Amino acid sequence: MKIQRIAFLAVALAMAGALMVPSPVLAGPTYDKVMADKVVRAGIMTDSIPGAFYNENKEWVGFDVDMAEEIARRIGAKLERVSVTNKTRIAFVQQGRIDMSVANMTHKRERDKSIDFSITYFFDGQKMLAKKGKYTKLSEFVGKKIATMQGTTSEINVKNLLKDLGDPDYEKNVISFQKESECFQALRMGRVEAWSTDSTILLGYAAQAPGEFELVGDFFSDEPYGIGLPEDDSKWRDTINFTIQDMWADGTYMKIYNKWYGPDTKYFFPMTEKIEMWP
Amino acid sequence: MLGYWLEKRWLQYIVLLILVAGAVVYWGFFFDFGYDFEWSVLYRTNQTYGEVLGLSLLTGLKLTVLITLISAAVALVLGTIIGLGRLSSFAPVYWVSTAYVEFFRNTPLLVQLFFWYFAMPMALPVGVRELIFSRSPVSYEFLSATAGLSIYTASFIAEVVRAGLQSIPRGLLEAAYSSGLTYFQVLRTIILPLAFRAIIPPLGSEFLSHMKNTSLAMVVGVGELTWQSQQIESLTFRGFEATTAATLIYLALSLIISSFNNAVNIRLRVGQRPEKSLASTLGDLMFWPFERIWGVLVRPVRWIFFRKKRSVLQYSPFQAGIRVAARWFLRGFGLLVRGGFAGGLVYLLYVAGRGLASLNWKIVWENLGTLLIWRFPAGGESELFWGLGGLSFSILMALIAIGVSFWIGLAMGLGRLSTILFIRIPSIIYIEIIRGTPLLMVIFWIYFFLPIFIKTYLNVFWSATIALTLFTGAYLAEIVRGGNTEHPAGAV
Repeated sequence: MKIQRIAFLAVALAMAGALMVPSPVLAGPTYDKVMADKVVRAGIMTDSIPGAFYNENKEWVGFDVDMAEEIARRIGAKLERVSVTNKTRIAFVQQGRIDMSVANMTHKRERDKSIDFSITYFFDGQKMLAKKGKYTKLSEFVGKKIATMQGTTSEINVKNLLKDLGDPDYEKNVISFQKESECFQALRMGRVEAWSTDSTILLGYAAQAPGEFELVGDFFSDEPYGIGLPEDDSKWRDTINFTIQDMWADGTYMKIYNKWYGPDTKYFFPMTEKIEMWP
Repeated sequence: MLGYWLEKRWLQYIVLLILVAGAVVYWGFFFDFGYDFEWSVLYRTNQTYGEVLGLSLLTGLKLTVLITLISAAVALVLGTIIGLGRLSSFAPVYWVSTAYVEFFRNTPLLVQLFFWYFAMPMALPVGVRELIFSRSPVSYEFLSATAGLSIYTASFIAEVVRAGLQSIPRGLLEAAYSSGLTYFQVLRTIILPLAFRAIIPPLGSEFLSHMKNTSLAMVVGVGELTWQSQQIESLTFRGFEATTAATLIYLALSLIISSFNNAVNIRLRVGQRPEKSLASTLGDLMFWPFERIWGVLVRPVRWIFFRKKRSVLQYSPFQAGIRVAARWFLRGFGLLVRGGFAGGLVYLLYVAGRGLASLNWKIVWENLGTLLIWRFPAGGESELFWGLGGLSFSILMALIAIGVSFWIGLAMGLGRLSTILFIRIPSIIYIEIIRGTPLLMVIFWIYFFLPIFIKTYLNVFWSATIALTLFTGAYLAEIVRGGNTEHPAGAV
């Protein structure tokens, strides 16, 4: 009988513990919440050079980090950085775990079903990164193995590209990894002939091994980056959009841009577009 | 007083009913998930991608089953060899087997898979590497994942085999040897049949863990079940539905393996004839074809080839001469093999040592702090535990998980033995669901979907720790239960 009683007590305790769930977070308009707490929680990547990464001193830096910091500063809130991945960046916005996702995320209509986006704050396109001097045009990649990241638009784009170029095994030839660094490693050891994703990410990694890799061919997709925002929360979305436009208007945007993608950097990527401005 | 009432069956049923009804009513009608379930994503053609995404789960299942079966077969053979090696009296073989077991059992499978996929090819010459990448009949992803899993599981099987072999009484072996049987005859007719009977139950649970471990193959780009469920999640953002479907498939697989294990265990039990039950009938059915094959094929073959041996009990001088020569030849051959083995080993160590010395240790040295203590030393106050990371994080997580899961395991293990239904049934459900699901899936559940139920957000550290705790708890519960059924019923 002793065992019975111990078991009963233990299970009762466990059940009581399960019931004592933490009090729910107040779900409300994000703007009011941010203004009340004076804290804005931003989802930022850790593996995308030079978008957001750890530098040699193990500091979390990059274009997206600076953008998030500047937005928070202008709103008058403190930035809380939350590390996200390709997998988590949308789920976190949906669940309200972050207020915005500044995580080199392409604005896609499929994604717009789940979350909202700010105006485009960065213009990128998809390319292939391959060993220097081996390839000259995209059609040469038919039948070759290509690395990409699971859960990204790049994955869908590169499969469609190979399919259009006439590769019957396009499903098999695209190998999807979990992280950018893993794709780069697969390219380095020759498991794949190319790695395909947004060109700035490719440039960032190619700069890690100067002279070994090069971008091949033209852009085969447009990748307009938007800041991921909670669905149906227009006051917060306006705030973010106006802040980005203000940054563009007073030159802060280009200052940050040139710090990471300017001609003096390892990741030179000329600015060819203009951020959408509303008079 | 409480004990008296709790023993009433009708009261137990009523409490159980109230608990179930309460849960159904609460989560079915009052609880606001803040999430719209869209199960049709699994069986309806998706407009954007033009395919039924649920079907990709079946593709993943096929790959999961394939990897599980192939690597289990390889691991069984390899593990048996290594397990025998651990009992060898020839020192180099003993040391190699021991090093193998200790090395692969004590490093995480995830790290091993990363090693086989990302690091191993770099150690090969470029020509060999390209040959493997382009000429291999299966993709290198599949190959390295299957090989990595085989090698990992073999180290566990080796220990099971060793324990099984050591459980054979010494006297039996002495009797066998003194009857004039050679080592291989003893091995074939006495050691292995007996040992396998002793090791079948633990082998079955190794196989179950092994099946769940295949979920880690996703990290090297193998499109198995977990990978496919993640794919659906990232294509449609319907993570809840995809993960639920994948979890149910894993549970079904585990259930099949468990019932298979049970059937085999009952069939192989020595001495007592099993009572007729579902499991024993299943076991009979499973063994039937093998017994028929054995009966029809092997026995006549043996009869034809071996029946004449016994007619003459003495060797002619010529036969005796051949036997002596053969014995000398075998002895010399044995020495040669041993010498070759030892020589090969020394060469292998030399190559490995040279390879290790030529690694770029500077990178490891520069990142030592990150590996051992800090993930992010310059991080702000939003960092968890002042930005701790690496080894210190692992130890912290392990300490919390072990400390808490011990009590969960104790409660659930005793709960499973309870005669009170509304304690026993929740305990059984907890243990079987967690044990039948890969750790990776448990982590996904806690990290992505627990927040939906409890309406609050957990950071990475706590989600992982909770997942680990729940997972370990289920295993400890089974150990507690096993220990508790050991002592005689009268003792309590």
